[in-house]
Amino acid sequence: MSFLAPLFFIGLAAIAVPILVHLIQRERKEVIHFPSLMFLRKIPYQSVERRRIHNWLLLALRAAAMLLLIAAFSRPFLTHATEKGLVATSGAREVVILLDHSASMGYADHWTRAKDEARKVVQGLGAEDKGTLVLFGTGPEERVRSTSDKSQIEVALNEATVTSDATRYAPALRYAQTKLSQSQLPRKEVVLISDFQKSGWERQEDIRLPEGATLAPISVADLETADLAISSATLARASFTGEERVTLTVGLTNRSSSAMANVPVKLEIDGREVGAKTVNVEANASASVTFPPFTAADNQRAVVRAGSDKWAANNSFFIAVSPSRPISMLTVQRDGGTTSPCGPECPSFYLNTALSLSKSPPFKIDVLGASRVAASNLTGRSVVVLYDVGALSTEFDAALQRFVQEGGGLFIVLAERTPWSAGESPILPGKLGTFVDRPIGHDGTLGFLDYSHPIFEQFKDPRQGSFANARFFRYRALTPAPTDRILARYDDGGAAMVERRVGTGRVIAFTSTLDEGGGWNDFPKRAMFPPLAVLVGQYLAQYAEPTAWYTVGRNLDVSSPLAALVRAGTASDPQGAARKPSGVISSPAGQQVTIGEGGVPAVALDEQGFYSVRMQGTGDRRPFQVAVNLEPSESDLSSLQPAEFAKSVTGRAAVTTTGQSLEHPDLTPEDIEKKQSIWWFLLMGGVLALLTESALSNRLSQRFGTGFLQMNRQ
Amino acid sequence: MESHVVPGARFVDPKILSRIRNLELLARTVVEGFINGLHRAPYFGASIDFAEHRGYVPGDDIRRVDWRLFARTDKFYVKQYEADTNANFMVLFDISKSMSFGSHAVTKIEYASYVAACLAYLAHRQRDRVGIVTFDQDIVNYVPPSAKHFNVLLHTLDRAKPERPGRMLAPLDKIAEHFKRKSLVALISDFYENPDDVLEALKPYRFHGNDVVVFHVLDPAEIDFPYTDASRFEDLESGEEIPVIPSSFADEYRKMIKEHIEKLTTKFSEARIDYVLLNTSKPLDEALFTYLGTRERMMKVR
Repeated sequence: MSFLAPLFFIGLAAIAVPILVHLIQRERKEVIHFPSLMFLRKIPYQSVERRRIHNWLLLALRAAAMLLLIAAFSRPFLTHATEKGLVATSGAREVVILLDHSASMGYADHWTRAKDEARKVVQGLGAEDKGTLVLFGTGPEERVRSTSDKSQIEVALNEATVTSDATRYAPALRYAQTKLSQSQLPRKEVVLISDFQKSGWERQEDIRLPEGATLAPISVADLETADLAISSATLARASFTGEERVTLTVGLTNRSSSAMANVPVKLEIDGREVGAKTVNVEANASASVTFPPFTAADNQRAVVRAGSDKWAANNSFFIAVSPSRPISMLTVQRDGGTTSPCGPECPSFYLNTALSLSKSPPFKIDVLGASRVAASNLTGRSVVVLYDVGALSTEFDAALQRFVQEGGGLFIVLAERTPWSAGESPILPGKLGTFVDRPIGHDGTLGFLDYSHPIFEQFKDPRQGSFANARFFRYRALTPAPTDRILARYDDGGAAMVERRVGTGRVIAFTSTLDEGGGWNDFPKRAMFPPLAVLVGQYLAQYAEPTAWYTVGRNLDVSSPLAALVRAGTASDPQGAARKPSGVISSPAGQQVTIGEGGVPAVALDEQGFYSVRMQGTGDRRPFQVAVNLEPSESDLSSLQPAEFAKSVTGRAAVTTTGQSLEHPDLTPEDIEKKQSIWWFLLMGGVLALLTESALSNRLSQRFGTGFLQMNRQ
Repeated sequence: MESHVVPGARFVDPKILSRIRNLELLARTVVEGFINGLHRAPYFGASIDFAEHRGYVPGDDIRRVDWRLFARTDKFYVKQYEADTNANFMVLFDISKSMSFGSHAVTKIEYASYVAACLAYLAHRQRDRVGIVTFDQDIVNYVPPSAKHFNVLLHTLDRAKPERPGRMLAPLDKIAEHFKRKSLVALISDFYENPDDVLEALKPYRFHGNDVVVFHVLDPAEIDFPYTDASRFEDLESGEEIPVIPSSFADEYRKMIKEHIEKLTTKFSEARIDYVLLNTSKPLDEALFTYLGTRERMMKVR
């Protein structure tokens, strides 16, 4: 701290004034008239100089007021030298080198320059200094732990490569914060080498470097960048002569100050070029390119490449294309009535009609009588409906259990008949009981719905409709097992809809009919029935919109390729071979990892390109493809000012690697003092102390003064 | 409402009395209020209470012969009543300059005036003869005792102004010569004198068979010494000034004034003189009670 007018400190002598006043106990000017000094005269008078201080608070307030006022007039200010004074200027250093290896560092020569800068920092380390090399993208990776061995750091630097990660500064800085706080060395430094992408920093990030630690930012960003990136892709699907035709449209963004003309854009399917176009993109603008339609096949690899610039990674876009299949459903109903196509006399007519309303995805429904169904009918099915059927053949029952175990969906409509004579089965969610008839005039309704379940979740909002007007006159009693989940209950507490998970498959039982034949209820005629039927179908088929691509950093677990198998109706092996939810995943770089049973539960998608997933038991089918692209924000190369960035992180001015401040190097002391205006706060503090002193002394005077004045009244 | 030990004591609160300028009214207010709170009549002297009969002797007033008893016994008897004698009541009133001191609404001399007026009123109501002597270092006013001097006494009290220093021995010696008849003497002062000197001054009064009651009037500030700031203190009588630091003087002072009071109490007790310490912040009932006790003892005669 320095002072513009240090001579004012002579005034510190004035602090002695209140102390003397307190010591001397100045006599009051007024004379107190007392009836007789007969007794007072006998008491020996003590010298006033030896009096003790009576009111320490008052003395402290007066002295503090003096001190603050004098300090205010001396015009103090904090200098950078003083700021540096907080930082040790001698002794060994603990240097954490944070080197950005995110995808954007692949732009032009950024990566080479960044490594060169890192090498300079390493070479600048003294014999007693220690260095830590941390590479960071989305998260930090410590390549070399705190060491004085420079060669070790240089070897690690040589081996470092650019990744496909997005840039995130906060995790790396937090890592450096931890490292520095653990260090015992007197000087602590963070050297951040990056292109300082704006998209990688949120100002509200809470980073607190240890006291005295400095942050030296080294930017390798170019003032002007020219980059073309493929930022998006959309697939439009259309059926054409039984096949699905896909039209691909990609969006391109020109992040430069000059327009790009005749940029070639090519589409490759499974390594073969199927389309090529040219496009003009204005400066700092976007454009789109639509390729001619192509026929979709299972697990195709589509790659779009656009032009060539200083950063090749974001000139390519990877898409996994598969045809969207209808959900294949087999309805097994009691014998009698029509089967496929299911007419009005068909028992499952209402259910099938409701499902046929769905277009995305469509349902492909086959109806068979219970006596005609065989295990082979399960091949290629995603969902099976047992609609009020009696006893099943042993072979079909076993095949059905296996079908569910391997991920298939089963919907059981329980009415007059019972598929399992004992009322129990591993795939029946509960134990079946007798019929329950509601008394005339006391029709049943659905009294409870589990809105947390995916089927009912979207009906949570009352505006989405109500199930309250459906009337139930009869139902089958079903006692769920403790592990079963009751999705709906009647108003008398009886289970209406129960779910059981079997293996990787799902089973839902409904305890009343879904037709008007038996007069059990009027639910199928209600408006809420069709959407509920479709949602149940989608849920049992484990339907999800096929993901054409992921972004770097996401995780892929076994459920994604498994759901694809269920959708394709190939979850069940027609030969009856056991299929387990496990597989092997190959990364774009060729690394193989086992996922699912016996392997890791999920794999981080941290490389740009295609990951291939081969599930156990899928034979020679094409492996499931996962396309991974760069995070769109990573293509935004606009950068932060390194000094501003460092200031926002540390709250202090940034310094160079040699310790020089990067902020306001030419300010005079007057300018700095004027900018800081510390005197204003000191002055206010002094005035406040004086006001408090006045209030306190007045109060003390009032306490003793009243009696005193009256005593002098004649 | 403030509660008092003695019913009617609200009439004797000095703060309230200080608002009454008329001393007679004040005395009547206090005394009547005080008396109303008592359950038995406090009057003696001109009593109407029958005591006994005695045989008629020549010279007795024939109006006092009990004729009814004569009718039954055929002998003359006269009725005798209790305390049918009247006494002198003399107030010795100190008006030295120190009596002008007061740390609250009532100064010492005002308070002493109330006491004197009330006592005189009580005595006057009993048809005692009342008189007053005001003094400082000399006699300032002398009102001889008389049944008609009550108003003169009040007038004297009203005019009393503390102006000069006080010396008790000389004026009291001088007054004692005028006491020819046995009297009830009330000395009201702040007693800034040596207790031995005070007692010496009062000896003649006891010697002549007077009953003496001493009222020591002190302000609460003189007892508690509540000062905090270092100041110069000036003696009201001599004008002398000394620097005083209360924080170091207070304890010593309180100890000395306590000793002074204790010494006065002891000395007066030994001399069979009733001593009453009056704090000017407290009601007057204590003074009145003491007076009545003394008067009762004195008048138990037939």
